[in-house]
Amino acid sequence: MLTSNLSFPGNLRRMQMGKVKNNNHHNHHNLLPSDPELRVKTIESLLLSKGLIDPDSIEEIIDLYENKIGPQNGAKVIAKAWTDNEYKKRLITNATSAIAELGFTGRQGENIIVVENTEKIHNIIVCTLCSCYPWPVLGIPPSWYKSDEYRARTVREPRKVLEEFGLKIDSNKIIKVWDSTSELRYLVLPQRPNNTERLNEEELSKLVTRNSMIGTGLPKVYK
Amino acid sequence: MKRVHDMGGSYEYGEIPVSLDSEGDFIDDEYVFKYSWHAKALAITLASGSLGEWTLDESRHARECLPPKDYKNFSYYERWIASLVNLLIYKKIVSLKEIIRFSKLVDDKNSQNYLNKSFKLDKRAWLSQNVKKDLSIGSSSSRKINIKPAFKKGDLVRTVLKNPNTIQGGHTRLPSYAMGKKGVVTKYRGIHVFPDTNAHSFGEKPLPLYTIEFNFSELWPSENESSHDIICLDLWEPYFKKQT
Repeated sequence: MLTSNLSFPGNLRRMQMGKVKNNNHHNHHNLLPSDPELRVKTIESLLLSKGLIDPDSIEEIIDLYENKIGPQNGAKVIAKAWTDNEYKKRLITNATSAIAELGFTGRQGENIIVVENTEKIHNIIVCTLCSCYPWPVLGIPPSWYKSDEYRARTVREPRKVLEEFGLKIDSNKIIKVWDSTSELRYLVLPQRPNNTERLNEEELSKLVTRNSMIGTGLPKVYK
Repeated sequence: MKRVHDMGGSYEYGEIPVSLDSEGDFIDDEYVFKYSWHAKALAITLASGSLGEWTLDESRHARECLPPKDYKNFSYYERWIASLVNLLIYKKIVSLKEIIRFSKLVDDKNSQNYLNKSFKLDKRAWLSQNVKKDLSIGSSSSRKINIKPAFKKGDLVRTVLKNPNTIQGGHTRLPSYAMGKKGVVTKYRGIHVFPDTNAHSFGEKPLPLYTIEFNFSELWPSENESSHDIICLDLWEPYFKKQT
């Protein structure tokens, strides 16, 4: 079906006229060793020998995502929003800049949207087409988030999926599923747990779980 | 036909791979990287991307272009590595011969000395002193150009029945489960690089992007799990039309 939309890009039209061929279904990777560890080593060695990757950069990237950029960042954002109403307003209206106030910016979080859980709405984030995820605040996605099971089922049976995470959402609540189809990245602002009025920001941040910021969980209960 | 990566709503998958404790609470037993080769796969993919020879959309397209059988059988980082090799060859950054030679080398214990020596860096290589700074900047898809958005909040729309990108197997971010469906515009999100062209080296062609809400019952009329639930997608203008 051709669209008559005026903003339709010319190159796409040419593509539709069949002038551009796609280069589908490469399988050059079959040339590599079958063991994935050796596959990685093969490419790494080849790129190193050609000077295309700096071995120190590889270590730096791993260190950053293994030790510095993770859900502890998002937890700080959430705890601040729970204690500072003005910050919460900024977070809802322009999450990217509000999050940048705490020093969390960059790759896979250039445009972040915060969606707030309320008495009426429970939000849950997924990426059905790949594994889009807000890296600066949550780090590298956990394996279940990247699993085909989560990607396939969350948009079709969100309540069953949530039950598998031990989470039963009241049938009166609306579940909003956000499929990350663009470069916007989503972060859930969970509801502040009960009986936490006397906790400070740092104590609160320890109650914020990764899953509560994706929507597959709630913050820890404070006893 | 629905492609393997376009799996939203597919019935063929089982339980989410997570575990609960005896109280029914989620057990968070995740490592950031379960194996060191996972970490390497991620870092090498990022470092290769920084050579500037392809866009993020092209790298997604490369993953989608893996033979469907491989896509299904591969684990997450195996998909990354396989598509990285294909991109490196397609972009003529490495050759098939080199891949074959190094596949043999890494298997050969006598070659370890060769692999451990240091090599002169290519001028495109991402230097370690820039890694932290560059990652903290990222690369936004938002573009400040003057295009008037054709839709506004509250507009009723219907998504197109077919991917506007009719290259066979071409890249799109309109999932098939949301094609030909009625929704409502809830938010205009600004002008963003259009993946359908950017994934094929046809340029960024930035276009207005919106969040569109779909009723659960519109997307899944035969399901009754929770008909009042809502699915939100971010869609570019060519993905939908005014609903009349």
